[in-house]
Amino acid sequence: MNEDLKKTLLNPIFKGNPITVLVLGICSSLAVTVQLKGALVMALSVIIVTGLSSLVVSLLRNSIPNRVRIIVQLVVVAMMVILVDQVLKAYAYSIDKQLSVYIGLIITNCIVMGRIEAFALGNKPIPSLLDGLANGAGYGMILVIVAFFRELLGSGTLLGFRVLPESYVPNNLVILPPMALILLGCIVWVQRAIQKDLQEK
Amino acid sequence: MNTNSNVYTIVYTTIIVVVAAAILAIAAMALKPKQDANIKAETISQMLAAAGFSSKEDLAKLGNDQILKMYSDNVKTAFLIDAKGDKIGELETEVSNIELQDNLKQENKNIAAGDPQLPVYVFKKDGAEINVIPIYGAGLWGPIWGYIAFNASCTEIVGAYFDHESETPGLGAKIKDEAWFREQFKGETVNFSKPDDSFDIVKGGAPKDDKSAVDAITGATMTCNGLDAALDTWFKAYMPFLQKKAGAAQVETEDCCGGDCGSECEGEGKDCNHEHNHNHQEG
Repeated sequence: MNEDLKKTLLNPIFKGNPITVLVLGICSSLAVTVQLKGALVMALSVIIVTGLSSLVVSLLRNSIPNRVRIIVQLVVVAMMVILVDQVLKAYAYSIDKQLSVYIGLIITNCIVMGRIEAFALGNKPIPSLLDGLANGAGYGMILVIVAFFRELLGSGTLLGFRVLPESYVPNNLVILPPMALILLGCIVWVQRAIQKDLQEK
Repeated sequence: MNTNSNVYTIVYTTIIVVVAAAILAIAAMALKPKQDANIKAETISQMLAAAGFSSKEDLAKLGNDQILKMYSDNVKTAFLIDAKGDKIGELETEVSNIELQDNLKQENKNIAAGDPQLPVYVFKKDGAEINVIPIYGAGLWGPIWGYIAFNASCTEIVGAYFDHESETPGLGAKIKDEAWFREQFKGETVNFSKPDDSFDIVKGGAPKDDKSAVDAITGATMTCNGLDAALDTWFKAYMPFLQKKAGAAQVETEDCCGGDCGSECEGEGKDCNHEHNHNHQEG
């Protein structure tokens, strides 16, 4: 059992990473990775939403009528996302404005619904919570890596603090969404190189 | 229990939805005061950015209290005007109780109905007055709004700031994100001779000799059209006020400086400025 929990927790972070292996949540990972701060808040929001939604759906799993299960799941996910959005509006207003529509769009993030359908509906609450948290963390980790390079090379700063000397000319291409896709591709490449069994013949 | 029966399904979904709604309602009520304070500080910082006191990025680093204080320290007076441009009320500017006329959506309806209560925020910067007015309209996906700062005689725009609720990031959202877009407004004027179409945002580039037009943003045609319409509507609503200000400045210039010294008088002649304010209050 412990072995299973460990696998539940670690698999989504590397071997079954939702972005690089399942290729889900690409849209938001391109949009919110211009600055590290935004990416961190987005990562945290998604971790909370996936974790809590999976937990709640798992608690309800035996009572949910099968015919309307997608709708019930959506209600739970939407509620979590709106709660996160409301809390951000109250305590981190400028970041909420910066992330604009993407917090609301967590509702449509396939990672959340995908994990609920594939895992939370058929597993006990604790493993479901861990699975949700781990998938959110796997998503967040890629977001933070991409944002790290984009802010460093695109603005010469990290979390708003200047790390590269003033003489560094910011690379504007890195700020634009295509570069996020290229960076994402590089991460996928590195991961496939390390993990040979992910390579497709 | 048969979880697939119709009755069960209907009762179950009803309960889930009601519970979710209750949780959200409680959260919204509990967080509202804090959110309102944030929105107020945000509105004020947009005005300060338009008036050129600080960049929006720097203002974002300040706390709400500091922004309110900065407003209170720099604002001279804030008042409401009616459709004829006459003053009909004051807005409190004390830091503990700052009043704003920030329900722009409502005022937008009132403008259409012909009975608006429009705010004018008068700031003091380097000895000169800056008049800041809001604009509001419909973008592509949701509302867009902004603040336009005029010089003392309202004959020249000295700054602008725009914001939006849900324009497309990277396209329509550029009205807020791109500094060059709002920088263009500096030095432009409102075309008093065309009250229905007093400002243009031109696709393909504004003519160089047109002082009431700026370039539109590529890929953001709908947002720019919306902003153009918003500027026209609100400038029209403010037109009587703007013209009065411009007219008063004209008369003052001629009266106290003999009409020869032109615009120099405005900045240098302190008496002139003083008289001008005085006159405005009477008018």
